[in-house]
Amino acid sequence: MMLELTRVYHFSAGHRLANPALGLEANAALYGDCHRPHGHNYYLEVTVAGRPDPVTGMSVDLGRLDDAVRARVLAQVDHHTLEGVPALAGVITTGEGLARAFWRLLAPAVPGTLRRVTVVETAKNRFQYEGGEG
Amino acid sequence: MSPHASSTRRFGFSAGHRYWVEAWTPAENERVFGRLTVPHGHNYTLDVTVRGPIDPQTGMVIDLAELKRIVTETVVERFDHADLNADPLFRGRVPTTENVAVAVWELLAPKLGADRLARVRVWEDPTLYVDVRGEPQ
Repeated sequence: MMLELTRVYHFSAGHRLANPALGLEANAALYGDCHRPHGHNYYLEVTVAGRPDPVTGMSVDLGRLDDAVRARVLAQVDHHTLEGVPALAGVITTGEGLARAFWRLLAPAVPGTLRRVTVVETAKNRFQYEGGEG
Repeated sequence: MSPHASSTRRFGFSAGHRYWVEAWTPAENERVFGRLTVPHGHNYTLDVTVRGPIDPQTGMVIDLAELKRIVTETVVERFDHADLNADPLFRGRVPTTENVAVAVWELLAPKLGADRLARVRVWEDPTLYVDVRGEPQ
């Protein structure tokens, strides 16, 4: 059988969608309302794969997972404007863009094997990134 | 061939547990598991997903009433308001969220068929869940 563990985290952040290569009017036309500075109560789901240790029953050290996600992502973004976060330099902060950026921050840092990063922007919008650049 | 689909039904059970390896000393258990060695409990949520062909007669992958009966009899009545550490399923197996999900899979797979049982998802609380699936065919 295959086993995946998912931990759900929360952060609140401001952002706006804009491609720096485009001017104000072009960005407004491209992104509509999302071009204006606004914010979200985000949820971040981090999924790691692994088998439970036969003695401890744990597939991953949750404390280490929490520490990694806090240090690499939450401390950078919670109550920040995403466009000003150094770790997100050059990222257009769509849900997809954030999921991929968070994957890159987390893949080398989490215990176990990172399987999926899910960014929940609102109750209606959910974005998943599973690695690969295909 | 009939089109395939998945059906998921949600269940809940409240159970007590603690992290404790019998073979270890109390000091070793506390060093590894910390506060988790203290008996406590959770309101678990269980999502059971069944996958299969949509029956052309009934329009269903599985009768959800049948799924409800099987899961209630097999899992919920066993674990609800129970001490997981006292269940023989967890003899020599710490009732972590991972192992609870594995145990639910082991209980349900023979009843529903390992080919039909697509996924067991156990939520320990709203911030933590574990998925168990069968090996890919």
